Amino acid sequence: MWRIFKDLLKHNGEFRAGALLISIVVAMAALSFISPYAPDVSYVVAPDVPPNASNWLGTTSRGQDVFWQLTFAIRNTLLFGLLVALLSRLVALMVGLLAGYCGGWVDRVLMSVNDTFNVIPLFPLLILFYFVLRDRMSTPLLAVLMASLGWAYDARLIRSIAMSLKSREFTATGIFSGMTAREILLEQHLPYIMPIVFSTALNNMNWSIGLQVTLAVLGFMDIETPTIGSMIYWANQHTAIVAGIWWWIAFPVALVVMTFVGLFLLAVSMNEYIDPRSRLAGMEGASQ
Amino acid sequence: MNTAVLQVEDLRAYFRTRYFGVKREVRAVDGVTFEVRADEIYGLAGESSSGKTTLVKAIAGLVKPPLQLVDGAARFSFLPGVRTLATASPDVVRAVRWSRLSYIMQGSMSVLNPLRRIRSTFDDFARDHIAGSAAEFERAVLSHLGKVRLDSSVLDAYPHELSGGMRQRVTIALATICNPQFVIADEPTTALDVIVQREVLGMIRQLQQEIGSSVLFVTHDLGVHAALTDRLGIMYGGRLVEEAPTAQLLREPRHPYTRHLIASLPRIGTQERRDGLPGGPPNLADPATGCRFHPRCPIAMDVCRTVAPDLRPSGDDHRVACHAEGAGP
Amino acid sequence: MTDYLNYAMKRLGQFALVVLIGINLAYVITHATPIDPVEQSISVATYFGDTAPEAIAAMRASLQELYGLRGGALTQYVAFWGRIIRGDFGPSLSAFPTPVSTLILRAMPWTVGLLATSTIIAWVLGNLLGGLAGYYRDNRVLKVFGITAMALHPVPYYIVALILLIVFGYLWPILPISGGAAMNVAHGWNWPFISSVLSHSILPALSLILIGLGGWFLGMRSLSSNIVTDDYVVYAEIAGVRRPRILFSYVMRNALAPQLTGLAMSLGGIFNGAVITEKVFGYPGMGTLLVDAVYAADYGLVLGVTTVSIIGVSLGVLIIDLLHPLIDPRVQVR
Repeated sequence: MWRIFKDLLKHNGEFRAGALLISIVVAMAALSFISPYAPDVSYVVAPDVPPNASNWLGTTSRGQDVFWQLTFAIRNTLLFGLLVALLSRLVALMVGLLAGYCGGWVDRVLMSVNDTFNVIPLFPLLILFYFVLRDRMSTPLLAVLMASLGWAYDARLIRSIAMSLKSREFTATGIFSGMTAREILLEQHLPYIMPIVFSTALNNMNWSIGLQVTLAVLGFMDIETPTIGSMIYWANQHTAIVAGIWWWIAFPVALVVMTFVGLFLLAVSMNEYIDPRSRLAGMEGASQ
Repeated sequence: MNTAVLQVEDLRAYFRTRYFGVKREVRAVDGVTFEVRADEIYGLAGESSSGKTTLVKAIAGLVKPPLQLVDGAARFSFLPGVRTLATASPDVVRAVRWSRLSYIMQGSMSVLNPLRRIRSTFDDFARDHIAGSAAEFERAVLSHLGKVRLDSSVLDAYPHELSGGMRQRVTIALATICNPQFVIADEPTTALDVIVQREVLGMIRQLQQEIGSSVLFVTHDLGVHAALTDRLGIMYGGRLVEEAPTAQLLREPRHPYTRHLIASLPRIGTQERRDGLPGGPPNLADPATGCRFHPRCPIAMDVCRTVAPDLRPSGDDHRVACHAEGAGP
Repeated sequence: MTDYLNYAMKRLGQFALVVLIGINLAYVITHATPIDPVEQSISVATYFGDTAPEAIAAMRASLQELYGLRGGALTQYVAFWGRIIRGDFGPSLSAFPTPVSTLILRAMPWTVGLLATSTIIAWVLGNLLGGLAGYYRDNRVLKVFGITAMALHPVPYYIVALILLIVFGYLWPILPISGGAAMNVAHGWNWPFISSVLSHSILPALSLILIGLGGWFLGMRSLSSNIVTDDYVVYAEIAGVRRPRILFSYVMRNALAPQLTGLAMSLGGIFNGAVITEKVFGYPGMGTLLVDAVYAADYGLVLGVTTVSIIGVSLGVLIIDLLHPLIDPRVQVR
């Protein structure tokens, strides 16, 4: 897998751009560990100060430094996205592999359920969850909820790969030469599945972070822990735009947009690399 | 007097790729010269990766990256002044497409638009080239379909509703309806069973005789060549190694590769062992110096390793590219 | 014909399944939670004042009745479905005594209008441009468009709506940023009203379209650049068929079927986007209704909007699925 990354980094412009954006974002998140201010205290600096030498990105109406607050916010947001992506990969892998390998009625039942989750608009359901859980809706709980709702699209993808792998010749060769099912799965099939799992994980992160930001902005989420969404929420509560405190909104938005675009570029360039057809199309750029 | 409808001169077409820092040049067609005369069926034979499909694609002007036309010419008698179709202006080329030059593609499974009825495909391909009203066009199509023994119900069908043999016959009808002067047929019967194959070959021969067109017929199956073609060219490693009237070639092959090809054909009645050629097919990305065949040739000499033999006349209308065969009378 | 009927039956079955599971899910969520909606509503309603204990008891009784929380679990479930079938979600708490169904019916045309127009525009335009981009690979304009689409597509609806709000609300205020129509215009089929509706819908529609367009463009572009190498396209080129005809009837036509499936799959996501976009621009559709209902702890309204949106989205998917065989005649055969 590392060879793939090295190749992509060297030759694919989109991957480089995405990697650059994501490194900036991760660097910001890492800085949170050396922040001079704790994330949950307020009124530690003069409020409503525009960006200057000592407060690089300005301060909020709650007397917090935007820059350092942002490092915590992006760290929590990223961790949230990672958590959801990880958990939903597990579900998607289980469902997809089971449906693809077993076939028959197992496949049909799983796919009916899968398509149901694909169609149902999740946002109203999440709102419903918030409505009944209110303040007990913590960030980890939301992550679990979203993971248990957001696996449908990728499960179908994994299933189609499993189905095609099952009928490939090298699988039959493996069986005939006495490999156990576990060996076949891990050694033969996993290298095909892993890149897809990885790029769908990136897309999933985009989805979950986007949804979390939206929920937080509406106040439908735990707004005490700093996340990008909660920062925007508080900015709205203090009518930052109208009051002219644009830096409170602009910088979180800019950082999160960087995250989204970066993840997307990474996922797209990986997909292009994996898909043999687009590879062939990419080879046309040869001249002598 | 037989004039050449197609004249190919030292045609070279390579696949050039550059991806993720790896540059590759595959010399699929490396200097091919031959001609196809009026009213004849010229066969091209060779194993896979001999370059025959790339050759006919280059002749037909189907040169898309990563394939590049590097050198040479492929002149048609009905397009004087044009070196190759790929480098000519699109308007000039479109004027002859289908009306003078048609193509029967390999793989009848997928050459027809799956979402259009056969009638629409005929319309797309041939309507512009056949004068007359829509009704006259339809009558012409129906009568032509009759020649390949398909009836009018085919017109309203979608490709997936027809059998493989029917689809192949549709493509043959499509390719011949405008009475083209030159037809390129690339493995048109490979995917069919022998019975349908026989029928289809018969149709091709019949149509060719009726219209008087020239046909460039590509297939690896020597049996088909024996049954259908007038002259036969053998390709190996991107080059023509031998060419002669078919019957003569099959009787007296003069190139070691051709000899081996013919000797490997199964014959009813004999049960002798057939030897395979040592070595593997040539690597066109890194071709051997000298004669492409020398690594596997049973009579290779020192000169074969360094100097590539030209295609030289050797006997009646017979050309061979081999140092062991001197220039004949 | 019977093939199609078989197919239609299967699709209807899937539709029924989705609606059933969805509504049951909504029911289970609201009923199997630690929080009592009645107590919640009461606490919200009595937040500001001191209410007499008898009044609270009376409220509790009537709320329990209205929310169908009388009786054991099974009775509640049966009563719930009984009311759903009649389209009765009870009265709204925040707009008492207006029934929930009235509120929903009032908001629905706004949402449906916004969603339908912006989805259709985004899908048609995105596919058209994407098809052109996939076929005419070297066109500069299309390449630039592609890069913009890549930058815009992954951004969530809320952010785009927010940016548009800031740009057109504060930096360059030429478009109305709130409401469905101007307040002082009478509703009806008259030009002032219609033009007001249109101008108020531009910004919400724009946010939805900008994001949707990018997605369809990218998908169609990659599909058509793959299809261009398919045998039947190459064959048509050999035959000298005119380029526009190849582009439309050969390339795009074959890419349409997967794009249609993609449309069906993304209806849920588009609805999500519409909800938040409506709230940002104060557009009087079901999205704003839902969010405000949550703020006001209006249990009946929340449940009502959720149910209707599940049914609506599934209906949209069903319609698209039923259209599918008309575009691709191979679908039923499989």
